[in-house]
Amino acid sequence: MTHRSTTGPRRGASRRNFLGGLGAAGVALPLIPLLEPEVLAAPPATRLILLTSANGTIHEQWKPEFDGNALALSPILSPLEPHKNDLVVLDGLGWRYDDGPGVDHMRICMLWNGTPMLAGNEFQNSTGDKPCGWGGGITVDQFLAGQIGQETPFASLEFGVHNGNAHLYSRVSYAGPNQPIPPEDDPYAMFDRLFAEFGQSEAELGRLRARRKSVIDVVRGNLTTVQAKVASADRLKIEAHLDAVRKIEQRLDTTATCEVPLLGKQIDPDANDSFPVVSRLQIDMMVMALACGLTRIASLLWARAGSNVRYNWLGLSTEHHSIAHDSSDPARAQIAQINTWHAAEVAYLLEALKAVPEGDGTMLDNTLVVWGNELADGWTHSQHPTPLVLAGRAGGALTTGRYLDFGDDRHNRFLVSLCNIMGMPEVTSFGTLDEGTGALDGLV
Amino acid sequence: MSRLGHPPNQDYLVPLLATRPPKVDPQVVSVEVRAWGVAAALAILPSCYSGLVGSDGHDSQGATEDAGDEGGPASESGAPAGVCDEPSVDTSPLRRLTRSQYDNTVSDLLGVAGTPSAAIASDEKVGAFFSNASAPVAELIVEQYMRVAEELAQTATANLDALVPCDHVADPLGCGATFVEAFGLRAFRRPLTPDERTAMIALFELGHAEGGFASGFTLVVEAFLESPQFLYHLEFGLEPELPATDSGDVVALDSFELASRLSYFLWDSMPDDALFDAASADELDTPQRLRAQAERMLADPRAAAAIANFHMQWLRLDKLAELEKNATAYPTFSPELRAAMAAETARFADHVIRFDDGRLETLLTASYSLLDEPLFALYQLERPADHDPAIPVELDPSQRAGLLTHASVLATHAHADQSSPVHRGVFVRENLLCQPLAPPPPDVDVVPPELDPNASTRERFERHRSDPSCNGCHSLIDPLGFGFEHYDGIGAFRTDEGGKPIDASGEVVGGDAPDNTFDGAIELGQRLAQSELVRTCVAQQWFVYGFGRLRGEGDDCSFDQLRTSFAESGHNVRELLLAIVMTDSFRYRRIEGGQ
Repeated sequence: MTHRSTTGPRRGASRRNFLGGLGAAGVALPLIPLLEPEVLAAPPATRLILLTSANGTIHEQWKPEFDGNALALSPILSPLEPHKNDLVVLDGLGWRYDDGPGVDHMRICMLWNGTPMLAGNEFQNSTGDKPCGWGGGITVDQFLAGQIGQETPFASLEFGVHNGNAHLYSRVSYAGPNQPIPPEDDPYAMFDRLFAEFGQSEAELGRLRARRKSVIDVVRGNLTTVQAKVASADRLKIEAHLDAVRKIEQRLDTTATCEVPLLGKQIDPDANDSFPVVSRLQIDMMVMALACGLTRIASLLWARAGSNVRYNWLGLSTEHHSIAHDSSDPARAQIAQINTWHAAEVAYLLEALKAVPEGDGTMLDNTLVVWGNELADGWTHSQHPTPLVLAGRAGGALTTGRYLDFGDDRHNRFLVSLCNIMGMPEVTSFGTLDEGTGALDGLV
Repeated sequence: MSRLGHPPNQDYLVPLLATRPPKVDPQVVSVEVRAWGVAAALAILPSCYSGLVGSDGHDSQGATEDAGDEGGPASESGAPAGVCDEPSVDTSPLRRLTRSQYDNTVSDLLGVAGTPSAAIASDEKVGAFFSNASAPVAELIVEQYMRVAEELAQTATANLDALVPCDHVADPLGCGATFVEAFGLRAFRRPLTPDERTAMIALFELGHAEGGFASGFTLVVEAFLESPQFLYHLEFGLEPELPATDSGDVVALDSFELASRLSYFLWDSMPDDALFDAASADELDTPQRLRAQAERMLADPRAAAAIANFHMQWLRLDKLAELEKNATAYPTFSPELRAAMAAETARFADHVIRFDDGRLETLLTASYSLLDEPLFALYQLERPADHDPAIPVELDPSQRAGLLTHASVLATHAHADQSSPVHRGVFVRENLLCQPLAPPPPDVDVVPPELDPNASTRERFERHRSDPSCNGCHSLIDPLGFGFEHYDGIGAFRTDEGGKPIDASGEVVGGDAPDNTFDGAIELGQRLAQSELVRTCVAQQWFVYGFGRLRGEGDDCSFDQLRTSFAESGHNVRELLLAIVMTDSFRYRRIEGGQ
C-alpha cells in the first residue's frame, strides 16, 4: 500500500516516534481536524460501522419514547441526546431459533448473519446436548465488503476491545461458514497495520512494496503446491490462506491519503482498566481509516459475549457477566449503567464522524452506524428484542430521528434492510433463518 | 436476596472426544466412564438440569447405549488390550502452529528470543488445549505473520555469522544457496524439494542484487516464515506420490513428519539436529526407536517448555498471566506474585516428571515445591539466604501438598475478592475427573454471595444445597470446592474465616475411590491420586495435548495401550509420554476429507 500524508512525507511517523513526545496520561488526543479540505473533494462514499456490545440490556430503560415527531431518549440512550435526530431506534426484532447447535451467548455469531452456528464439536461445552462449531455464514459487513469494499486498501477493518482468546464468543464477523474473522484488540498493532507506512518516503515505500511482492510470489507458489496435496477438508484452509495473501498483495498497489492519528502514552491494552482508553483509541483510528478511504466497512466488538470485564471506572467491581445474571434491582441498575457507558462511546463515535466535513454535511451523513447486543437481556438470555440503534443517514438512504417497534418481527429482515440501505436494493433475503419476508416495513 | 456463584463464561470446559456427547435425559443422567479395565456406569444425581455434558468412552454413536455393552479395554475387533491388529488412527485436521509453538520454533531457528507471537491473533482451543485445528486463517492473521516475519528477519541479521554456515563475504551467492538448503531443512522441518530450493535461491539472488547478502537473507527468511510448510503441521504420510485422496487409508508418517511430531509434543518446538539426522537416516521407523528418541528428548531442558505448557493449560492457568485481584481484599497480590505462581507450577511439574519419580500421585500429593521469592511470604515460609528456585524446598505438609494447593490453581479459580468453591469444584470435576458440566441455566444468579462477616463461605452458599433447582449440579461441584476453603482468593492458607473455623470437609460425589470423603485439599489430592477416573482423565488430557485434536474411535486401540502402559508404570506420567509416541495414533495418519 502506498500512502501519502497530507502534510507530505513524514519521516519516522510511527507511533513510537509520537510516543516519545507525549507525556500525557493514556488518553487519545483528538484527531480533529482530520484532513485538509482538498482531499475531501471526491464525492463521499457510504460507509458501514457495526458496533457490538455484550450481555444484554435492560429493555425498559433502553426503549425511547416517540410521538411520531421527536424522540425522547431513555436513560440508557441519554448520552446520545446531542445526536438524537441522527438516530433510528429499532425495537421488536429477534430470532426464532430454539433448536439446533449452540445456545445463549454463543449466538453472538448470529447477530450479523442471521444464520445458526454450524454443527460440530469445537464448542462442545455450550450446553449438554448442543455442541457446535463456528458461525454458519457470512456476516452482513463481510457481504458488503465483498460488494463495496473492493476499491479501498482494506475491504473491511475489525476493531476489538478485550475479546480474549479465539472463541465463538469473541467473533462477530465471518467471511463465510467456519470462517471467523478475528478483531484486532491491540490498538498499537492496529496503528501499525493502518498507519506505520505513512512515515516512509516514496523510495522506502517502493522498496518495501517490491520486497513484499517478491516474498509473496514465493509464498503463493508454496501455498499452491500444498493446496494440491492436502486432503479436501484441509484444502479449504489453504485456499483461505491463499485468498488472504492475494488480498494483501492487491493492497500493495492501492493508495490512500491519511493524517496519522496520535495515540498518546502507551498503555497495556489487555489490562482490565485500559478498556475505556482502548475503546477511544480504536474509535479514533476507525474514524480516520474511514475518513481517509482506507476502508468503507468497519466493526468494533466491545468485549466478547459473556464478557467478564469489570467496569471499575464506573465503580462496578463485579464481572459484567455475573452482574448480567443477577436479577436484583441493584444489579439491573448496574447493567443499565454499563449500557449507558456504551451509549456514551457511541456518542463519541458519532461526534467524531460529525467532525469530518463532507460535501455539504459531515461524514455521519454518509455513514450507517449500527449498534447491537448479543442478547436482549442477560438475566433471561433472551434474544428478543435485540436492542438495535442505527445512526447516520447513509448518504440519504435513511431517514433518522425515529423509533420503530416491529412488535415481534424477524432479525433477518433487518439484515436485508441494512443491505438495502447500503445501496443493494436487490438483496431480498439474508441468512439461513430468513423466512423470505424481505426487508423491514417502514424503515427505508 | 441470596445470590449464588456460578463460573462465568464457560469457554474453558473440556470436551475430550471427537464425537458428539450423548443426548442427556435431564431427569436421569447416566454417565459412562471407562474406568480402568472395567467400564463403569456412573449414575449422577438425577436432578442436575442437564447434567454432565461429555464423557470419556466409546459413546460416540451410542447415546442410548448403556455402559454395559462395554467390554473393557478391548479394541473394536475384539483383540485384547494393548494389541492392535492393524494400524488404526482417527483423522487429524490440518493445524497451524500455536503461538507458543511459533515462539519456540523461531527461537530455535533464528536464535531470537521473546514472544513475537504476541502480535498474532490468539489461538483456538481443542478441549483445554490451544490448537488451531478448525477455522481457516483470516486475512488479519496472514498479515500479522508477514509483519512478524519481517521483524524477525531483520532482527536475525544481527546473528548473520552464526546463522549462515559459510563465508558470505568471499562467496555471497554460493553461500546464499548453502544457507537456503540448510535453513530450509530446519524451517520446513524436512529437506527442500528441488522446486522449493530453486524458488528460494532465486529470491535470495533478487535480494542480494538489490542490497547485498543481508538483503537476500532477510527476503529468504521472510518467505520461509510465511510459507505453509513452516506455519502448518503438514503431514502427508509415506506415500508422497499419492495425492491425498479421501480414501480413508491409514498411512505411516514419514521420518521427518515423525520427527516433528516428537519435537512439538515433547518440546513444543521444532526438531533439533539429532532428530533431523535420525529422520534423514530413517531411524524413527519403530516404536522402540521413537521411544529412544523421546527418552533423549525428555532429558533435554527443552522438555520443560512442553511440560509447563501442558500443565498451564490442563489446570486452566493460561489466564493467570492477566489475573487481577481486588486490591482491598488482596493488597499483596502483584504481577510479581502472579508470575511466581505460574513459575512454581511449571517448575514443580517439570521436576516431578523429569527428575523425581514422575508419578501422578507425586504431582497431586508431594509436599515440596520450587519457589520464587515472592511465594515464600504467601506460603508463610522462611526463605533461606542462599535460596535457588531450582532447588526443591519442603512445605508444611499440613498446608501444602501437590498441584491442587499451588497458589496458581487456587488464585486462578477464585473471585477477585474471595475464594470460589464453585470455580474450584467445577475445575476439579472437569479438568481432573474429565466430567464436563453443563453451564448453569440462564435465569439463575451467578454472582457470588456478598461477603458477610458473620457467615462462612460454606454458609453463604447454603442455597445451593437447599434449593432443589441448584442442588442437582451443585451437589457435584460444591462438595469438591468446599475442600479448598483453607485457601483464600489468592491461595494463602487460613485456619478461620472472620473468626469462624474453616470446615473443609467434602466428598468426591460419584467418585471411584473406596472412600470418597475427605477433609481439605490435601486429602482431596490423595483421593484423586487413587482414582481411576483421574488416571484415565490425565491420559486423555495428554492425548489431546499431544495430538492437538480430540480423540476419536480410530484411536481406541492406541488409547488402550496408553492406559496399560500408564498403569504398569505405577501411573508414571513420564512413562505415559513415552507410551504416547509408540502408539499407532502417533505413527500413522488417516487420509480423509471432511466435506
